[in-house]
Amino acid sequence: MKYVILIHSNPQPWGHPTPDYLPEYQDLPRADRDKLTSEFEKLLGELQENGELVMGEALGAPESSRLYRWDDGKPLVTDGPYSEAKEHLAGFFLIDVESQARAEEITTHFSGPGETVELRPAMWPGGDDQ
Amino acid sequence: MTTRVAEDVWRRESPHVLAALLRRHGDLGDCEDAAQEAAEAAATQWDRDGVPDNPRAWLIRVASRRLIDRVRADSARAGREEAVAVAQPGDAYLAPPADAYRSDGDDTLRLFLLCCHPSLSRPSQVALTLHAVAGLSTAAIAAAYLVPERTMTQRLTRARSTLRAAGAEFGLPTEDELPSRIAAVLDVCHLLFTEGHTRSTGGSLVDSDLAEEAIRLTRQLHAILPEHDEAAGALALMLLTHARAAARTDGGDLVPLAEQDRTRWDHERIAEGVRILERVLPRGHVGRFQLQAAIAAVHAEAPVWESTDWLQISLLYAMLTQVAPSPVVTLNRAVAVGMALGPEDGLALVDPLLDDPAMRRHHRTHAVRAHLLEMAGDPAGAIAGYRQAAQLTTSLPEQRYLNACINRLTAS
Repeated sequence: MKYVILIHSNPQPWGHPTPDYLPEYQDLPRADRDKLTSEFEKLLGELQENGELVMGEALGAPESSRLYRWDDGKPLVTDGPYSEAKEHLAGFFLIDVESQARAEEITTHFSGPGETVELRPAMWPGGDDQ
Repeated sequence: MTTRVAEDVWRRESPHVLAALLRRHGDLGDCEDAAQEAAEAAATQWDRDGVPDNPRAWLIRVASRRLIDRVRADSARAGREEAVAVAQPGDAYLAPPADAYRSDGDDTLRLFLLCCHPSLSRPSQVALTLHAVAGLSTAAIAAAYLVPERTMTQRLTRARSTLRAAGAEFGLPTEDELPSRIAAVLDVCHLLFTEGHTRSTGGSLVDSDLAEEAIRLTRQLHAILPEHDEAAGALALMLLTHARAAARTDGGDLVPLAEQDRTRWDHERIAEGVRILERVLPRGHVGRFQLQAAIAAVHAEAPVWESTDWLQISLLYAMLTQVAPSPVVTLNRAVAVGMALGPEDGLALVDPLLDDPAMRRHHRTHAVRAHLLEMAGDPAGAIAGYRQAAQLTTSLPEQRYLNACINRLTAS
């Protein structure tokens, strides 16, 4: 079962890894930060090694995006950001796992102070017999 | 064309080649690598010289040499002495002992059991079985599961190192252990089948091949263990279910059982499935695969949906609830009870499931409930249920089907 883990964040300035640019994260005691970082890196290595991580990408700043809207029968192109929202899509991971429970377990470890992590199932082309 | 022949021979012989290597050197990773190299050598050499008289002996000979080279190189690097155990005089490999060809079935069973070792996760067991027992290439397995080949390679590598760490052996477990180990093999075959069968929506050949692969593997298992009731049950279930494959989709859309064109069912497969069931059911022990197969057989015996024997199906589901209780079985039972006795009786089974948070998030709970509400003459309740189901499902054709139900009820 495939899922995307979407990282919604607003690092200032925009940068990766996002926690390095989030005040909520930087305010944590050094030991806590190191613990979160090393646990996350350990998990990511594990997911890569066992083949549950299919891919992941960090995204450019919202200001670097181009927006395509339909206007009078043709695309109208403007500069981003897409919205003035508090958080923007900062990166995504595609995982392929045994169950929803496993996806939820993994996603817990992607969460951290100052950002919102979203787990969404991917649709598949098949269906059960009924 | 010869390459294709080499591939066919390989698919047939790979478990035996692997078994011959594993009897001398227990590490699945090393043996699979050596066997793979022999398969590649066969593809080029047989193309040039033709297929040898005894292709299995050829493959075992070449693979054994590669295995010795590999283990020697490894032990030289590691400076280990223990490799002596493997690096016996080459003749030991070239002339296999008298028992080398004792029983193909025995070899295949041991390989099945090794690939489905309890130290592995289900997905790893499935991937390893497809690679080692079915002889599918990593690329083919990756394509079937729609992941990059690199990802599948990593899963296989991890699975082999897990086996190594667990000290898993190529052999038969104790008599106490054997039933649960065989049950795991059957679960893996069934999971593989379900993945292939439920993903085939017409256009994609790869997925339907997975289901065929599962049938082939289960057929092998049934041939090795003809007295095993559930191996027979699982094979019957797969034959009876996959017999409907051609009728269950229409241009990518799912066609529910009620609307399938039953003339497009594979009646030869149905007959075979029923034959197997008739042989095994009277033996007494009735497991979940046999019961599910019996339910599929009742459907198969109805020439049209309207003549389905729902009472019998609901009784079989009641038995299944005893043997293998699960919320999903209760849902299916609710449909049958609703058809046999009336929607209120079905709803009485479904409604308690909504107390379970996991079932509340499961699309089928709402889809079945909506269906029963529609039968009971509550279109507003049915629309709400179909809508919730459509939001929760991750299946594209199911979502299209559920949205169509909403539109149909809203329009009338």
